[in-house]
Amino acid sequence: MASLTRRGLGGLALGCAALAPLAARAQPAWPARTVSIIVPYSAGGATDILARKVAEGLSNALGKTVVVDNRPGAGGTLGTALAANAKPDGYTLFLGQVSSHGIAPNLYTELRYDPVKSFVPIVSVETIPNIVVVNKALPVNSIDELIAYAKAHPDTLNFASSGTGASTHLSGEMFKSMAGVTMTHVPFHGSAQAIVSVMGGQTQMIFDNMPSAYPYVTAGNLKALAVTTLKRSPQAPDLPTVAESAKSADLSNYDVSAWFGLFAPANTPRPIVERVNAAVNAMLKEPGFAKFIVENGGAPEGGTPEDLGRLVDTELTKWKAVIERAGVPKQ
Amino acid sequence: MDVITNLAFGFEQALTWSNLLYCAIGCVIGTMIGLLPGLGPLATISLLLPLTYSIPVNGALIMLAGIYYGAQYGDSVSAITMKIPHASSIVACIDGYQMTLKGRTGLALFTAGVSSFIGGTVAIVVLAFLAPLLGQVAFLFGPADYFALMLLGFVCVSLVTTGNLLNGLAMCLLGVLLGQIGTDLESGTLRFTLGLTPLADGVSVVSVALGCFGIAEICRNLDAREERTPFNGKIRLMPSWPEFKRIIPSALRGSVVGSVLGILPGGGPVIAQFAAYAIDKKVSRYRHEIGSGAIEGVAGQAAADEAAARTSFIPLMSIGIPENAVMALMMVAFIIKGIQPGPNMIAKHPDLFWGLVASMWIGNCFLLILNVPLVRFWLSIFKVPYTVLFPSILFFCCVGTYSVNNNLDDVFITAAFGLLGYILMRLSLDPAPLMLGFILGPMLEENFRRAMLLGRGSFRVFVTQPISATLLAFIGVLIAVQIAYAVARRRSGGPQPGHGERDAPEPVAVVETPGVPAASPR
Repeated sequence: MASLTRRGLGGLALGCAALAPLAARAQPAWPARTVSIIVPYSAGGATDILARKVAEGLSNALGKTVVVDNRPGAGGTLGTALAANAKPDGYTLFLGQVSSHGIAPNLYTELRYDPVKSFVPIVSVETIPNIVVVNKALPVNSIDELIAYAKAHPDTLNFASSGTGASTHLSGEMFKSMAGVTMTHVPFHGSAQAIVSVMGGQTQMIFDNMPSAYPYVTAGNLKALAVTTLKRSPQAPDLPTVAESAKSADLSNYDVSAWFGLFAPANTPRPIVERVNAAVNAMLKEPGFAKFIVENGGAPEGGTPEDLGRLVDTELTKWKAVIERAGVPKQ
Repeated sequence: MDVITNLAFGFEQALTWSNLLYCAIGCVIGTMIGLLPGLGPLATISLLLPLTYSIPVNGALIMLAGIYYGAQYGDSVSAITMKIPHASSIVACIDGYQMTLKGRTGLALFTAGVSSFIGGTVAIVVLAFLAPLLGQVAFLFGPADYFALMLLGFVCVSLVTTGNLLNGLAMCLLGVLLGQIGTDLESGTLRFTLGLTPLADGVSVVSVALGCFGIAEICRNLDAREERTPFNGKIRLMPSWPEFKRIIPSALRGSVVGSVLGILPGGGPVIAQFAAYAIDKKVSRYRHEIGSGAIEGVAGQAAADEAAARTSFIPLMSIGIPENAVMALMMVAFIIKGIQPGPNMIAKHPDLFWGLVASMWIGNCFLLILNVPLVRFWLSIFKVPYTVLFPSILFFCCVGTYSVNNNLDDVFITAAFGLLGYILMRLSLDPAPLMLGFILGPMLEENFRRAMLLGRGSFRVFVTQPISATLLAFIGVLIAVQIAYAVARRRSGGPQPGHGERDAPEPVAVVETPGVPAASPR
């Protein structure tokens, strides 16, 4: 199975080479050396874990080592700028996410990259929903009850987040403005501390990434009310979406996910982009990889480079509106 | 009884040949990075993580854990011999280095090794008997309680200061200011970054510690042009019996402090060392000697950072919450192996937890051998002449700083702190309180603002939370006692001219300034 896929990929690459002889002559045998995937966060986060898994799969598919290069700093914008300005020779790839290609461009006034012009999209890898989880003592069991509670007890609810400007923060802001309720945002350094505060009852709720929050739901330490995507999660099919479960307010457009996609610096040769795209698409169909993603609460994506490009466009527009409506100060 | 059967089960896991080997490898690597100035466990573990993909999860965990606590074991060595600290052995630069200057390097190293052994042993007992219970402690502490705890830390400033107290306070406040550099957590505003992107995430504790202590010390040595090597081939390791007796109580106190602080998220070895040092300076029978090369000044902190490193596994194993960056990496190791960390890890994966606890006992014995009798072999690295040694130390400092974020700018930041440290040293200002302010300041501010946010702007949260109220009351009593003591001493010492007069105002000045924020919440 694996060897068949690899042979198929080789054929695809050959086909591409025939179609684009110029590029093929410039890059006779890519990859000739180690390829690195830049991750703009430190080792240990969701992006890093996914990148390491993708690197492992790409190493097998390409026959050369693929390594993860952690470049944390300035809310992920440091590493993103580094990738944007890297040599477009196919040896530097970038694992972009909702932050680098959705939120940050709307939040930071001085970015050293353009999410659209500095990159070529390769392939969408995974989307992870956020889930709305509350402290067990909070007397609500659904999104409707949460809205009713918030309206009956104004200015008592606090929602924790993994940091100002993170998707966990903006999910809450988006919910506030769409449902018309007031809640106080309490930022923490990372989601671990934030979850502890929800369990300890200092804050009442969090819109956290599913992988980090869901284990506490299954263990009975926290209550989950809904997922923030339009589709239910394959890992928790019984958990409704925010959009479908709100009757008292119109939340039908409420759709937030942490998504991850592979990018390369702009002007990276098209054959390389297509070869990596094909490799990742094949990888996403392997049962082992798909299982890894689903077990971590995500959904495997895949598709063409253009699909990822369209996703970036919609996300940029969406977060622009959320940030303006919520009045989050620009940095 | 349960614990005994569980431990037996754990030893069954840990005593296989392969796991013994992983434990030994972890301890040796840990000791090496502990000895090398500048390198820390975080960078090493993230480099070695890919190597663990192919080994079983139990062995991988045992090896990575060995690297972490092994590094804490030997981390005092470079601080004692060369005044080059790791983040968790800053305090060892005070008394440990003084002991070296007095030619008692061997005794200091022996003390650090044995104290680490004691700290490790106490922490393992805590892990084995109390881990499932203690995981819950994290939930009890809210922002107001952390604020009170950090404030208690600030009251300790007077205790880690060696010279003039007023200077110590000034240095502490300078540390607080340095800690403000970076992005504000709540508003996302950049503070004191001078428009420089590398400063957007603030300055790392590694840069400040290496710069202010290590690089400054190297410059001073070059300056003095004196032919002194940190290790001249002959060291006397074994202490005399009275000396050995002094290690025990101090190491036990440090173990308890370290075990407690290790459990609290955000605590861990870096803070534990300061707390242990401060307590020794307050209650030890030899407290008057601390600061000028006392055994207690080394024993307490070495035991505390080792104990804290081990008990920091408790939040990860019992509630699935990593409490510091190294533990977050351990969590990645789990996730990549297909184990989802979360509550009930101990119940769901007993082989992992008890195997780890048992491997810690074994690791403790490995480390004692590696660090006490064999330390002289490790130290022979330093027999090379200064002209070679200095550049290589600086090289390792650069590698160490670079490896934290893979960022070259951090090396320049460290160099800038080296200059600052050199200036401070020329002015005879002590950098230890600066480090304390730098570490505690941002945590104090963050928790204060978070508590005020939750309290909707009312100071009442600080007295309605039981833990916070108790700690604040304790701080109040501490200050009152100090003032009463100082007043009484001034009265009785009034007729005598001289040092009685000069000493008296200082404790007052020290206890009052940290007391200002304490008074406002009420």
